[in-house]
Amino acid sequence: MAMKKSSHPNSRRIARERIAVLFQQARLFFPVNPAWSNRCVELARKIAMRQRIRIERQHRRCFCQHCYAFLVPGVNMRVRIQRGKVIVTCLHCHRQTRFPIGRTHVRGNG
Amino acid sequence: MISPQNVLRHELIGLDVLVVRAGNPGHTGVKGRIVDETRNTLVISGESRLKRIPKKFSVFRLTLPDGVLVEIDGTVLVMAPEKRINLHLKNRGK
Repeated sequence: MAMKKSSHPNSRRIARERIAVLFQQARLFFPVNPAWSNRCVELARKIAMRQRIRIERQHRRCFCQHCYAFLVPGVNMRVRIQRGKVIVTCLHCHRQTRFPIGRTHVRGNG
Repeated sequence: MISPQNVLRHELIGLDVLVVRAGNPGHTGVKGRIVDETRNTLVISGESRLKRIPKKFSVFRLTLPDGVLVEIDGTVLVMAPEKRINLHLKNRGK
């Protein structure tokens, strides 16, 4: 028997909206207090994990994949392009993430 | 988007809020923007400083982005923010 996916049909739609709201607020909070932005990322990730939905690419690229800090280019994020990759350095934990570019999307919106 | 029908299951961070009633009388009348939410509390950034208001025994008046005012009994919000999406209530505070 197929497993029941979610207790309410609108749960995932609301979850997507909430993730969008959280990243919008994170952007607004960043000049005031970056810790609030990081908390927004934490909550957005928790919602996504609980509802089993992906965080859209535009949002996934604005936080560190290692320490989950909210990143703003030029402030706490360094962006370089090298050999077909975008290399993002988080200036909070100084670790790098490489995003390949120019590849056809075979695995969803990754 | 966020409406009086789904406000209990939607995101509260970023909304303007007024504490109408609270278990602690000193907390009534606190006004500002919600900046954080935990299972038991809301953190409100007011005029001067941050206030952490317990949800339990409080009544919040929220201003939704489209200007609608909603009054919510905080006792039904006592739940982790990511678990609130699956909240299912018959009698919700208006």
